[in-house]
Amino acid sequence: MVQPAKTLQEATIRELIAGHAGPDRVPKRFKIITDTSDFFKVEYNDVVVLGGVPYWVHRCEKEGRFGIDDEPKYWVRRAIELTTGATKILKLVFHEQFETTVGEVTITCYRSPKKEARILDLVANHGNFMHGHWVLDAAGNNVRILEFIHGPRFDDVVTGYGTDHYDYFHRYFPQILDQYLELVLAIKFLHDNGEKHGDIRRDHILWDVDTKTNRWIDFDYNYQQGEALFGFDMQGLGNLLIFVAGRGDVLVPDLYHNQREIFDTLWGEDLSIAYKNRVANLKKIYPYIPDSLNQALLHFSVGANIFYETTDQLLDDLARARADMVSLTGRQA
Amino acid sequence: MNEHDFGDLARRDTERHLLAAVDESANSKRAVMFLADFFSDSQNVFVTLLSIIPEPSEDFFPTEAERRPWLQAKEAEMQKHLTGYKEILLGAGFSDARIATRLSIRPGTISVGDAILEEQEKLRCCIVVVGRRGISHSEEFVFGSTSSKILHHAKHCAVMVVE
Repeated sequence: MVQPAKTLQEATIRELIAGHAGPDRVPKRFKIITDTSDFFKVEYNDVVVLGGVPYWVHRCEKEGRFGIDDEPKYWVRRAIELTTGATKILKLVFHEQFETTVGEVTITCYRSPKKEARILDLVANHGNFMHGHWVLDAAGNNVRILEFIHGPRFDDVVTGYGTDHYDYFHRYFPQILDQYLELVLAIKFLHDNGEKHGDIRRDHILWDVDTKTNRWIDFDYNYQQGEALFGFDMQGLGNLLIFVAGRGDVLVPDLYHNQREIFDTLWGEDLSIAYKNRVANLKKIYPYIPDSLNQALLHFSVGANIFYETTDQLLDDLARARADMVSLTGRQA
Repeated sequence: MNEHDFGDLARRDTERHLLAAVDESANSKRAVMFLADFFSDSQNVFVTLLSIIPEPSEDFFPTEAERRPWLQAKEAEMQKHLTGYKEILLGAGFSDARIATRLSIRPGTISVGDAILEEQEKLRCCIVVVGRRGISHSEEFVFGSTSSKILHHAKHCAVMVVE
């Protein structure tokens, strides 16, 4: 007897799940989804079929940010590609537009699946980005199917090095600086190709333990730029530089409570232009920081008179800082 | 006249051709009023009122169907402002023959400052006039400043920044 197509497909999918996870794990009931327009309807154990490939859906991915509890991203689902058994991340279409504030500046940001899909194609052979491909589902939604990256966040790696800042800076920072430079070069690659990352944050870099590289993730945001086409990206790179040079954020309230003598030396111009509770002029805190590095940091401070417009300008200055770090520590990386 | 043909706008080098780069802002209006006040009696001064519309990235619109009306609305709005600015110049005594308006839609991958300087070069204007918004330090850091860009990168012309 000929079975209806859907039954056949469901039977095949049940076999695939059993083959992957064992017969006991095959769910009694699950939906087979080809139209992901309403991503809230995609539930645990459902199977999303994209480009003829079934993906067995597991949990939502989460986003932790600055102490706020992890928020589930319902449009980002971890899934098993049933034809290979590989873990994938499915990013479903979620159009979102919002305004974000950096300092006192309001920036209109929007989430664009098209942009992320385009960049996935662009960076397919670039080791410093997440990889994946995209498929239009039955309703024409651009679903991105991402390879799962095994490894910790870059910022967690950085703060884990050294017993204190002095130890970190002299023993580990040269290699962290090299990694940072590699990450800036990756952003330069985007800019040179007319693209922006759009959401440069320290928790958007993962250390891939398999390839031993840092990889930028989550580039579906875009923003309405002004005269400086890459200003928001540059500001993100600046925040990251301050973070890696300081082995974390140096917060004004902490200095006020714990190191009043240093707090008393600070001026408003020493603070980060983006986050006024963070110190950018780190040489006031850590006097052994080379001038060349500190000069680069000061481009991201309230007191800055000129700003980096391009990654090339930043890279030029950091080449000098890197040479000074080698002289200071005797370490190449 | 079209985007690539400037034949009817390009003035001879001997003429005093001002390029006033304007948008919908109050500082643009101030710049035009300054021009009206300062140059209306100079019969050999020709003014091109230029407005650049930076086209948002295709990513900004979920569909092409939403993109087109946005651009049309923006174009209509700017055309209205250009007409208003022209009326200010006419009211101050400029003759119609001494004023041209030009609206250019440019890809968002080119900065407005660069687009203005490109037009200045093609039109061979001897002065570029812009208003200045007086943006904050932080704002300049994230967005950049069109007037600063023009001040720093203009070649073979004078730059007038009206506050």
